[in-house]
Amino acid sequence: MSLKKVEQVKADKGFKIWDLIIYGVIAVTVAVLFIVIFATKDESPLTGVRVFVEGQAVFEYGFDGGAVYSDTVTAENVKEDDNGLTVTVNVADGVNVIYINKSAKTVKVTEADCNGKQCVYFPAIDDNNKIIYCNPHRLRIEPLSRDYDDPNLIM
Amino acid sequence: MNLLKKTVPFLAVVCAAVCAAGCNNKTYGLYTNMQDGFKVVDGSFKTELIEGYTPTERGGEAPDSTGYTTKGITYFSMYTDATVAVSDDFKEDTDKEKFADFTTEEGKKFISFTQAVKQQLDYIDKSLSTSVVNSDVSRFNAAAAGEKVQISKTAYEVISEAKRIYEVTEGYYNPALYYNVLAYGFGDKHRVMTKEDLPSDELVAKYTDLSSHFGELQLIRDGETHYAVKPEYTVEAAGETLTMHIDLSGIGKGYAVDKVEKLFNDYGYEFGYFSFGSSSMLVKRHLGGAYKLGLSNPRSSSRKPYVETEILNEKLSTSGDNEQFYTIEGVRYCHVIDPTTGKPVQTGIMSVTVIGGSAAEDDALTTAIMAMGKEKAISFVKEKLNDRRVIFTVE
Repeated sequence: MSLKKVEQVKADKGFKIWDLIIYGVIAVTVAVLFIVIFATKDESPLTGVRVFVEGQAVFEYGFDGGAVYSDTVTAENVKEDDNGLTVTVNVADGVNVIYINKSAKTVKVTEADCNGKQCVYFPAIDDNNKIIYCNPHRLRIEPLSRDYDDPNLIM
Repeated sequence: MNLLKKTVPFLAVVCAAVCAAGCNNKTYGLYTNMQDGFKVVDGSFKTELIEGYTPTERGGEAPDSTGYTTKGITYFSMYTDATVAVSDDFKEDTDKEKFADFTTEEGKKFISFTQAVKQQLDYIDKSLSTSVVNSDVSRFNAAAAGEKVQISKTAYEVISEAKRIYEVTEGYYNPALYYNVLAYGFGDKHRVMTKEDLPSDELVAKYTDLSSHFGELQLIRDGETHYAVKPEYTVEAAGETLTMHIDLSGIGKGYAVDKVEKLFNDYGYEFGYFSFGSSSMLVKRHLGGAYKLGLSNPRSSSRKPYVETEILNEKLSTSGDNEQFYTIEGVRYCHVIDPTTGKPVQTGIMSVTVIGGSAAEDDALTTAIMAMGKEKAISFVKEKLNDRRVIFTVE
């Protein structure tokens, strides 16, 4: 080994502890970033939905627990087929028809007689981060995992 | 040097991984002068508090609501939904779905109330609409430069308020950006836009120049007769001489909400709400106390709320760049025009909500704050809006 090479190796040695410190800082930063990014999003699978009219819960369905009815949505409002349930919700100004797909674990409004029919065009609820809202009919569908004491007006 | 050689590739990989993980999880700024009383329910919004708001008592004692249920109706007015809901003891009418079947005094009172609301909305629409040929605004727009036009008391009140807020916001609220709104495909002549349809900078500059003379519009009251005098200023654009045109849609829905509040009071209703599209709202009292209001995330297609707050006996308005917009080559063009550029706002402010005060004022203020940009908006809220709650979000 030439003298120059020996000097180079000696010079390098002084940096090794700094290499380790920097790698450590980067690793901790990455870990924290991943935790912050993923911990804020509810990635757990959809367990069911709850339907509100005028801010009051009128129906809920759990993929494991089954249906809970009310005076507004009774068993007569629910038709079951091989894949899921069709729930007809009669509100003061009309009707919203909701389809709960049991195998795909998705929930969607399939028909409504409201102005604009925005609720029909909402994407299906397929995780705990989505809701469907029908403003004209004051109807809201939310994942079961959300707090029960949620907003009764959305702007 | 060796250190750099070792760490640069490693850092590149780390950055790529973090970016990949984070690209669907953008964070946004949430600026509010509420020091408490709100809950951020979406982790992608980071709160920055603005000083200056002085809370006021707005609750009062809750009236007895034993036996109360809620009934509502939705109308279509001013190109949007208007929903009114009232809670009362409807007695035998409680379970009836059709208004025609109502027999009780309370049921009939509710029908009368809904008819009065509809009449009020129709009247305001006929006065302020830019598409109804003989509306006050249409006649003003069709008038020659300098012409004195007789208008209704409604139009007088709304234009008067518009002028006041134009002054308060130093022109950031400007209802005379009529041609700019149309040029970008919005307004009552809403159309699909492509890159080729976008107006030239030269044309936009002329429209903006014309709008900057809004302060010269004069209002005259002679007893019970009201007039608006159109400014003399004109511009030459696309081979035409253009006179000032106005569009009061940025304040009209709020004005309607203020009028519907008077009807709530006249009919003695203390429970319920009136929502005019996604723009303005009157919130009275919920059967469970205050209404819990969720404000929709302007970047969420599912309208998932990002913040929740309680509303009780208040009026509020919201503007957002997600209400009407299109994207061309990655640039978002929304219906709110920046009066300093004459183009759709590109200030980074995504949505603004103002709670408290009159809804007409709130309606115009939200439009103005959208155009101000973050720093100006913070100082404006701090200095001039310390009597109402403000929340705005920044991309």
